[in-house]
Amino acid sequence: MCDLCMKHGAGGKWYLNAEHYSQAIAEKYNLRDFLMEQYKNFEQISVRKVHGFNAVGMGYKLKMPIIGRIVKYAAEKMLHSTRPPKNPFRAEGHIGQIVPLEDAVAILRTCAAEPIIEKNCMCRYMSRGVKEACCINFGVMSEIVDKLPRFIPEKDKFFLTRQQAIDRFTEHNRKGYIGSIWFGPFPYINNLCSCASPECAGIRPRVDYGITSIYKAEYIVDFDPDKCTGCGVCVARCQFKAIGCDHALKRITVDYEACFGCGVCRHACKQKALFLKPRDEFPGYEERY
Amino acid sequence: MKGKTKITIDYARCGDGVGVDPRACAACLRACDPAVFLLHETIGAIEDNPYDPQKWRVTPLWIDLCTRCMKCVDVCPEKAVSVAW
Ligand code: SF4
Ligand code: SF4
Ligand code: SF4
Ligand code: SF4
Ligand code: SF4
Repeated sequence: MCDLCMKHGAGGKWYLNAEHYSQAIAEKYNLRDFLMEQYKNFEQISVRKVHGFNAVGMGYKLKMPIIGRIVKYAAEKMLHSTRPPKNPFRAEGHIGQIVPLEDAVAILRTCAAEPIIEKNCMCRYMSRGVKEACCINFGVMSEIVDKLPRFIPEKDKFFLTRQQAIDRFTEHNRKGYIGSIWFGPFPYINNLCSCASPECAGIRPRVDYGITSIYKAEYIVDFDPDKCTGCGVCVARCQFKAIGCDHALKRITVDYEACFGCGVCRHACKQKALFLKPRDEFPGYEERY
Repeated sequence: MKGKTKITIDYARCGDGVGVDPRACAACLRACDPAVFLLHETIGAIEDNPYDPQKWRVTPLWIDLCTRCMKCVDVCPEKAVSVAW
């Protein structure tokens, strides 16, 4: 994570720095035109060649000894870029972080720039051909999507008040969708997503290929062994395979390294045994985003 | 998984080659557990007409994650998909 983000957010959280959401940033980098160009043809970014490479069959390229390392390095350099964005056909400076429900609510309540909209998730459309309204957008991004019919769900539910956005996000989160907040491109934040794996193109590079396309949350899950009955309901909820179930002990086991801190497992537990704790309270996992 | 998988879509049966719009079908995308396929406008569509609805196609993208289950081959009504290794 870059210094700028780490130093300036409330409590060290870059996404709680309202400046990143401001119209001034969008104007400064002329992001209206940039984003229009990018979203007009969003679905084909993966098949466009940049420096002779595109993502088709990328997994095989990554497995090649030297080429693999070059591809991974180039991909991370592009995603983590903090230079002024230039090429709308690349995912430059498009880096995000997992956020649990509480932080997403804080974003919507205090940081998000209006207008706020909910658009069809691009990833689910690209990978499944289904339109599901669950991506919440802010500011200039909302204005652009308004001009791109394929992203617009029913028109009357398109623009949201802050409270409606909070309600929608909560609904998705309870369903088990992973909350994520994105720079798009750095330093402008305009996307609060509710993702699913393997559909999400932002999570897939990390989970399947080890490319840091998204950071884990500021939290890790833990549980109260006195409350947990070992029913196992939460195990299926975790999209990162971080929870196991020990049937002999009648309790779960948690893999702190695998946990992304999304917190959606909590909604499944009737005993209220699961909770999130700040990452820095787990010795050895502090900086392991 | 041993060896490389090769997945092909015959664009003479589905996609911009014949003007069959894969967005109306998308059966292969839905059948695939690891979500290997990508639905997108062709690169050419940008150059001539980015809004042409006939310019969409399916590309096998995350090929190395294919489990060779053959469900995409079975569900395709146009017999356009093939999977080999
Ligand atoms: S990042 Fe998540 S919600 Fe946003 S488009 Fe992708 S899957 Fe959908
Ligand atoms: S859902 Fe709750 S009680 Fe059941 S195994 Fe998970 S943590 Fe334990
Ligand atoms: S165990 Fe971690 S990654 Fe899995 S659902 Fe719970 S908080 Fe999310
Ligand atoms: S064979 Fe199975 S895993 Fe492979 S692309 Fe087809 S549906 Fe997906
Ligand atoms: S199942 Fe066949 S016809 Fe349908 S979208 Fe896929 S390739 Fe095209």
